[in-house]
Amino acid sequence: MRKEDTVKLISAEGFEFVIDKKAASVSNTLRNMLSSSGSFTETQLGEVKFPEISTPVLEKVCQYFYWSLQFASGKETEFYIEPEITLELMMAANYLHT
Amino acid sequence: MSTPKRKNFRIEPFKHKVDMDPKYAEKTWKILEHAIHEIYNHNASGLSFEELYRNAYNMVLHKYGDKLYSGLVTTMTWHLKEICKTIEAAQGGLFLEELNRKWGDHNKALQMIRDILMYMDRTFVTNNQKTPVHELGLNLWRDHIIHSPKIQTRLLNTLLELVHRERTGEVINRGLMRNIIKMLMDLGSAVYQEDFERHFLEISANFYSIESQQFIECCDCGEYLKKVERRLNEEMERVSHYLDARSEAKITNVVEKEMIANHMQRLVYMENSGLVNMLVDDKYDDLSRMYNLFRRVPNGLSTIRDVMTSYLRDTGKQLVTDPEKLKDPVEFVQRLLDERDKHDKIIVQAFGNDKTFQAALNSSFEYFINLNARSPEFISLFVDDKLRKGLKGVSEEDVEIILDKVMMLFRYLQEKDVFEKYYKQHLAKRLLSGKSVSDDAERSLIVKLKTECGYQFTSKLEGMFTDMKTSQDTMQGFYASLSSDTSDGPTLAVQVLTTGSWPTWPSASCNLPAEILGVCEKFRTYYLSTHTGRRLSWQANMGTADLKATFGKGQKHELNVSTYQMCVLMLFNSADRLSYKDIEQATEIPSSDLKRCLQSLALVKGRNILRKEPMSKDVAEDDVFFFNDKFTSKFYKVKIGTVAAQKESEPEKQETRQKVEEDRKPQIEAAIVRIMKSRRVLEHNNIVAEVTKQLQSRFLPNPVVIKKRIESLIEREFLERDKTDRKLYRYLA
Repeated sequence: MRKEDTVKLISAEGFEFVIDKKAASVSNTLRNMLSSSGSFTETQLGEVKFPEISTPVLEKVCQYFYWSLQFASGKETEFYIEPEITLELMMAANYLHT
Repeated sequence: MSTPKRKNFRIEPFKHKVDMDPKYAEKTWKILEHAIHEIYNHNASGLSFEELYRNAYNMVLHKYGDKLYSGLVTTMTWHLKEICKTIEAAQGGLFLEELNRKWGDHNKALQMIRDILMYMDRTFVTNNQKTPVHELGLNLWRDHIIHSPKIQTRLLNTLLELVHRERTGEVINRGLMRNIIKMLMDLGSAVYQEDFERHFLEISANFYSIESQQFIECCDCGEYLKKVERRLNEEMERVSHYLDARSEAKITNVVEKEMIANHMQRLVYMENSGLVNMLVDDKYDDLSRMYNLFRRVPNGLSTIRDVMTSYLRDTGKQLVTDPEKLKDPVEFVQRLLDERDKHDKIIVQAFGNDKTFQAALNSSFEYFINLNARSPEFISLFVDDKLRKGLKGVSEEDVEIILDKVMMLFRYLQEKDVFEKYYKQHLAKRLLSGKSVSDDAERSLIVKLKTECGYQFTSKLEGMFTDMKTSQDTMQGFYASLSSDTSDGPTLAVQVLTTGSWPTWPSASCNLPAEILGVCEKFRTYYLSTHTGRRLSWQANMGTADLKATFGKGQKHELNVSTYQMCVLMLFNSADRLSYKDIEQATEIPSSDLKRCLQSLALVKGRNILRKEPMSKDVAEDDVFFFNDKFTSKFYKVKIGTVAAQKESEPEKQETRQKVEEDRKPQIEAAIVRIMKSRRVLEHNNIVAEVTKQLQSRFLPNPVVIKKRIESLIEREFLERDKTDRKLYRYLA
């Protein structure tokens, strides 16, 4: 996988998730961030720090990205969400405009 | 997160402690404000999108959206004011470039700001009905840059100046122009229209008004139209290069109005180069240009059409009323055909075969052809000429073309029955004298007439052809029935004509020579034996004869003469010298015919088989005729003055006219009866209208004549007047 096709997402605790840009683009916020015309640091480095999103939530978010791509391509499976992270996950979703 | 399936889950109001730094909003805004400055200063590379987004997100989330929004407005306004100053400071030609560059910068910055503040756009703006960031940026740009007092007029003048320079032939930076115009369009079509288009159209109108005035003073019509065409193309090109596509119709409209519509009359009637001159000189290119340009303006085409029509009518009228040109009917019709061909070609080549123009052409021809009462006769004479000799060596297709053209003229005729009358006469002469070149062509024309006017029109003509055919068969039968003992007697060829199908001639009989009379009698017996109950009468004035004659030095000639001439010549078999009186007594030929036939026998040079005393130009009652022994000719066969169809003389014309009028009476009566039979009761004017309609394929009935026919029908008790309303007629079954 080429580096320019991926993006590194970093959680509040410093955990790094490397995912496809295509998957990241499920989030409107991330898509804007990565395609914005200005030379922001994110576009330069290919990584985004989320100081307000915890590792489990960010992990779930990444899972959701991939699940969503599959869902969109017609593979309708269930997406399980642990009740304890639901609230945080929703806030992240709002933030990421997903 | 829009998780598609979520089960057993309830959303409850979210309560959480907001432990906020009171300075939080201020601090966050400072960060964002700084970022916006940096973005405008092209210094965004150090910024973190996520951080800015998060800050904006949090501000909105914590109900500081208002502060964020107004802060954005203030900051952006400040920047735009700075930009405004640098643009204003730009000198001369650099002004547009500077404006363009700053516009590019602003757009880029605006995009970044919008991305950062996306969350605000998504929630705060929609909830509070504010203008979205991008649109806000455009509006601010419009208000602070484009509508700044120092820039607004300068921009407009610069743009108009550039257009003007381009119109006068200079090369300008079209790319820059396009960008600036695009900017105005991006700011909303109202901005483009108000700040540019309106003025642009005004100044263009002015420009073209002056220019067209100049052109029209110094150019001829063709040249002027060329210039207009070029200008129009330039304007369209301009629009496609750097203006809004919707402006095309507007600006072409301006050019059309200023350069064409305002000068239409003057152009069309321009001396030495106007429409009429173009028509006369077959200037297809100029005409086509005029057509295409005038088509763009209201009444343009009708102007051309009207002028063309009146020109056609005038020239046509001159043509058909010029006594010089009436001398030769064939030439006359040929001229008509040429005139039609010429204008037809113009319409096809230059006027896009426009139907309305074709109609105008047709109506003009109809108008002037019928101005001359002799047109039907002449057209028939033209056909006669073509079918006698004109079509020799011409291919079948060409024959068809000529006939089709004749049919075209025929269609213009109002008095088709007059044509029929003449055509019948001419056809009869052609058939009887065997002068028709092509039977196919004859029949083809009949078919055309039939499709044009219906069976009734041609039934008699077809009858004539049938008679010719039957006569051939009859003659074969006749000779087969004769025994061979008469073989050295004269050969007889009889054409039996049905009365009614053929035009009637005054059946002038004459005393046929005894030799001929014998054969004739034999034929009569033969014919009546096969067709009982018929009556044969001889039409000697239509026949021809071939005589073998031996002259003084023993040379032999075959003489082709008319029956009358034959009768005269046969007398000289038994006498050398005969007086006019003798001849008249012996033959009983009507005197006018006799004079004519003697004239052609004795007075035509090279054909003078008889000698006359005294030698004078005319045949007088007391002249004496001798057989001319010294007659010589290079040819074995000598043709003596045949009866060719010629233009009728004035009294003949009157006579035919009268016959036609007579023939019309029963037709009009029949039409009246037909109409009344179905309508029972009708008012006078309506009858006239209906009769005219019914008969117009044959002729145009005169209302006075119709009235007379009605009166005659009333006398004969077909109709009666209504007792109370004298204008009403009733049909009496």
